[in-house]
Amino acid sequence: MSRPPLPTRRTLLATVPAALAATSLATSASAAAPIVGGGLAFVMNSAAANIGVIDMAREREIARLPVFRQPHHWALAPDGRTLLVGDAAGNGLFFLDPARGTMLGHRPFPDPYQLWFSPDGRFLVTAALRLNRVYVWQPGTLRLLKRFDIASMPSHIAFAPDSSMVYLSLQGTDRLAAIDLGALALRWVAPVGPAPAGVMWHRGQLLVGIMGSDYVSVVDPADGRVRERLPAGKGAHALFLDPEERRIYVGNRIAGTITAYDAASLARVRTYDRPGGADCMGFAPDGRIWMTLRWAAHVAILDPASGRSTTFPVGRSPHGLFLSNSPTLASRQGQMLNSA
Amino acid sequence: MLRYFFQDPFNALAGWLQSHLVLPILYATGGMRWEDIGFGWSLFAVYGLAQVLVTFAVCLPLEQLAPVERRPLGREVLTDVFYTLLSRVGLLPIVTFVLFYQVQVTVTGFFVDRGWIPPTLETLLPGLLGHPVATFFLYAVILDFADYWRHRLSHRFDWWYALHAVHHAQRQMTFWSDDRNHLLDDFLSALWFGAIALAIGIPPFQFPLLVLLLRFVESLSHANARVSFGWLGERLVVSPRFHRAHHGVPAAGRQSCNYGGVLPWWDMIFGTADFSSRYAPTGDPTAEEAMASGSYPAQQWAGVRRLGRTLLGRKLLGQGSAGYSR
Ligand SMILES: [Zn+2]
Ligand SMILES: [Zn+2]
Repeated sequence: MSRPPLPTRRTLLATVPAALAATSLATSASAAAPIVGGGLAFVMNSAAANIGVIDMAREREIARLPVFRQPHHWALAPDGRTLLVGDAAGNGLFFLDPARGTMLGHRPFPDPYQLWFSPDGRFLVTAALRLNRVYVWQPGTLRLLKRFDIASMPSHIAFAPDSSMVYLSLQGTDRLAAIDLGALALRWVAPVGPAPAGVMWHRGQLLVGIMGSDYVSVVDPADGRVRERLPAGKGAHALFLDPEERRIYVGNRIAGTITAYDAASLARVRTYDRPGGADCMGFAPDGRIWMTLRWAAHVAILDPASGRSTTFPVGRSPHGLFLSNSPTLASRQGQMLNSA
Repeated sequence: MLRYFFQDPFNALAGWLQSHLVLPILYATGGMRWEDIGFGWSLFAVYGLAQVLVTFAVCLPLEQLAPVERRPLGREVLTDVFYTLLSRVGLLPIVTFVLFYQVQVTVTGFFVDRGWIPPTLETLLPGLLGHPVATFFLYAVILDFADYWRHRLSHRFDWWYALHAVHHAQRQMTFWSDDRNHLLDDFLSALWFGAIALAIGIPPFQFPLLVLLLRFVESLSHANARVSFGWLGERLVVSPRFHRAHHGVPAAGRQSCNYGGVLPWWDMIFGTADFSSRYAPTGDPTAEEAMASGSYPAQQWAGVRRLGRTLLGRKLLGQGSAGYSR
């Protein structure tokens, strides 16, 4: 796979959003990770206040990038050259080089729990779960376009493919919220099931993992009406579509399992045993699925064909997971728009 | 995964607790929104249990070998054990968290909406990022300083001391006495530290062993043991001898000394240190008997009564003096 030439400090800075110019730049302490051939995995160790950089070929941690308190989720900038990681409890946004596994800098940011860019790259939406607020920013300048006070616990984010709407699960309620990005207005808030978690746009519908129960709600994006309930395991959490768009995977928190659905029929096709609190998933080029185990301080790698998985240790409460060489990123069309 | 247990027993136990107890309870009671917080509590409970066990293992022999007072353990000590379990492993942190969750949303939200993003020490002192242990100790020093003033003020104001008297009423001090506090006093502490967290951020929480060490010092300082750290040591870290002077009968109420929790520095700087005192009898003669030897609810109720008397008494006094001046 091709890799950009080693950037100098100057070109490196040019790849960072303009907003980073006003931030503290990383010191040499965190800028020494070696370049690795097989891709890098970034693990947000939410209770260890660092981001583990993993050499995917050797399945081994090669660097730990310190953050303030609690890194949870990530978003890849539209140009693909900057990885943003939100430190919720530390009120900081961190900027990383996804190809080299180095820290570029950070800036103060209000409770960035979840974050994602709209498919057209015109908006950055962040969910402040602790503050009951949703922010819409202009990427690049990080100028605030609009703040929404939405109770309570706005969590996972998904966009309509045309970037006209953004949808957020309100984990502290039984609701899903829809925001019109053109008008910057709240369109609807509708009940979808207790403690909704992951949200995914899928072929004209919204899929919502219902953590307070054992199903995935299929929701009409027009009005939030629940059309159907797909059976899952207890504590259905985040949803992920594989790069071939054949399967959708859902981690079930209470059941300690992963449910696989056929992406076309939405029929349940397989259930994998995977205790430990499976959370964020990433698809490796070899077809295996990497996932953070929230309560076990490990990352698991599941072979979906055989159902076998291996694990290796990472930091405490690993949450967000980013694979630099994931085919999902290469295609960027999979509507994999939830980040766990 | 057995190897993992030995590598990180805290996380392994917390993960087990989370998967087998906390999550099933949250799921059954419709509280899955708190699943993330639940793991924080699981870690907290496991660390807390470790604190209690380590303190027990070290302090119990100390109290046997070099006791200040030789007398059989009374029922009051059992109540102190209950206080300790309640605050270090049990429900109290959950209750406090839930009570102040909305306060946190409102207050932090208020500031954030006006453009002020609560910083961390690493934001204020950028060189700290990447040095989490140094950061942890800097937080520990600042929080200990804040606790010195919270404690000193809780003696200064009669209404506050009405609650804090629960801590002082114990005549038979042991290493279990550290967490013997009135619930309302605990809530005031939570507000106090919430305000500080708003100003300088919450401390790094990835060092359970360091937290354990600090909490151990606080427990040890209440032990019924003739332990002094020597001339220099006593001026570096609070010793049982130093804190016993604070619990001494003459030091109950307004005219007290040695308010420091872990560091005696603040007492030295602000002129409240007393290194001279020998091992005095402890307790608060002004506290009613229920506060000293009552059950947990009796002590709590005695605190409320005393608070009521203080507030009401002042009100009556205020009315009286107004009438007099007329
Ligand atoms: Zn006191
Ligand atoms: Zn004390």
